[in-house]
Amino acid sequence: MKRSRAVSLGILGAAAFGLAACQQEEQTDAAAFPDIESCTAAAAQGGWFTREDCETTFADAQAVHAETAPRYESQELCEQEHGAGNCGGDTVAGSGGGGSIFMPLLAGYLIGQALGGGRAMAQPVVPKAGGGYATPTGGTQLSRLNSTGKMGATAFAKGPTTAGQPPMSRAAVASRGGFGGSAATRSVGS
Amino acid sequence: MDRITLPERPDWRAKAAELGFTFADMHGEPYWDETSAYAFSLEEIEGRVEDPCTELHAMCREAVGKVLADEALMERMGLPRLRWEFIRDSWEAGEPEVYGRFDLAYDGKGPAKLLEYNADTPTSLYESASFQWLWYEDQLAARVLPEGSDQFNRLHEALVERFAEIFPADTDLHFAAMSGAPEDYATVETMAWAAREAGMGAHYTDLEKIGISEDGQFTDADDRVIGTLFKLYPWEDLFADEFSAHLASAQCRFIEPPWKALVSNKAILPVLWQMFPGHPNLLPSFFADDTKGLADAAHLMLAGHVTKPIFSREGASVTITTQGRVLERATNREYDRHPMIVQAYAPLPVMGGFRPVIGAWVVGETCVGLGVREDRALITQDLSRFKPHFIEG
Repeated sequence: MKRSRAVSLGILGAAAFGLAACQQEEQTDAAAFPDIESCTAAAAQGGWFTREDCETTFADAQAVHAETAPRYESQELCEQEHGAGNCGGDTVAGSGGGGSIFMPLLAGYLIGQALGGGRAMAQPVVPKAGGGYATPTGGTQLSRLNSTGKMGATAFAKGPTTAGQPPMSRAAVASRGGFGGSAATRSVGS
Repeated sequence: MDRITLPERPDWRAKAAELGFTFADMHGEPYWDETSAYAFSLEEIEGRVEDPCTELHAMCREAVGKVLADEALMERMGLPRLRWEFIRDSWEAGEPEVYGRFDLAYDGKGPAKLLEYNADTPTSLYESASFQWLWYEDQLAARVLPEGSDQFNRLHEALVERFAEIFPADTDLHFAAMSGAPEDYATVETMAWAAREAGMGAHYTDLEKIGISEDGQFTDADDRVIGTLFKLYPWEDLFADEFSAHLASAQCRFIEPPWKALVSNKAILPVLWQMFPGHPNLLPSFFADDTKGLADAAHLMLAGHVTKPIFSREGASVTITTQGRVLERATNREYDRHPMIVQAYAPLPVMGGFRPVIGAWVVGETCVGLGVREDRALITQDLSRFKPHFIEG
């Protein structure tokens, strides 16, 4: 036989990479949606989550987004990381003070089946510059929403609190970006 | 080789969507196309593709040694002199290669001819290793393809074996691609599945998010140090980037290793022809400014010649000339400023109105599978279609 006996048919853009990425990381059923309506439409077709799960996890994701989304000292810096038109002012009143803190908008959310049962897990996702989505820490990346599959449970770990903390300045992100400038075309593969 | 019309799987679009194969259609055209497939005999696969490509890879390795020992040839590679030592060190340290894809002109009659070796950043790995494999298994189960047929596609298993062979268990590997290109991301993710199956830790970072630590090591988007980096980004571009001065000192191992910059380079083609003149799988090739070599080889180029830049992707800046006239000229001219080589023209066969190019995959040092892309145009460019194949029983 000149072909593979088995090929892992993982879901592109959903789960090949995990944040902590220890080998034995537990996998759980997960789905990504842009809004409650898409989630409830999927729930109506059966599956492991319900309409009620959609609503509670969306509320959780909104709260986690407000608490942990990356915060920047300028709109420009935020858009550089998250794309034009994808940033807004800090949503947490009184956070940091001065009113000059910017954060990426909530683009959607992940819903995950709790390991061992219980309340479904939630995690917000924000847009990435150049397309796609990421959790607030950037640890889990998605190429698209409205997708379902297996995902490492660490994707649902809550990131560090950024609300009330000093925002990232250009210096904090300027040590990056030394690669990629020479690409001639959007797709560099051959 | 034959191009055979077959029924499509009724649910393949739903399967593609479910699996996240979002670029099955690209630029408003079908990219994955299973309305027909290419059929080969086992003798053809083994004698015309598999064994010759394993040999071609060995010849390329031999050529790397020759180029590194010859300053004039190193100059031909168009790579900055400041990085030559870095490239040489990776070769002398025996840093292992993981994968590459030979593009071949093959008409089912004569030997396959090497057009170029995508030895650094080949894509279409997902389509070849995974979705094509699924197509075969589905069609076999549906009895569209008979028992006793097969597919030349050990790509996934061979990658798993290769990772396990060259890295200790539990090694943390970083995988990087430019953001915003789903087809590149699919190749990186397919590679990462194989690495995970081999017992490695797989982490992703956008290439543009790579940073440099105070100790001069590369870091990912979460500031974790990168010990080994799979980069789906050409070496010649890394050498031109701002961080290139850190490459040698970052204590980072790279996949593909730096010496692949010499192999994925079309300047290797004239070197191969010098070393192995008349080899059945090589096309006569010369540096464009080698007027004597070209004049002496005029009788080898009666069917015409192709001018290609030493660095180029997706057919950009390629020109085909026959009978002294331009037959086809790629519209994308982004690579015009690079040095050129001239290669004898090997017309692709025309099958069902399309011109197939054979992509033969090498993992480690062995040819392990193939994928076919076909295009209506003479130069296979980014509107080409990926076609499944099978081996007749």
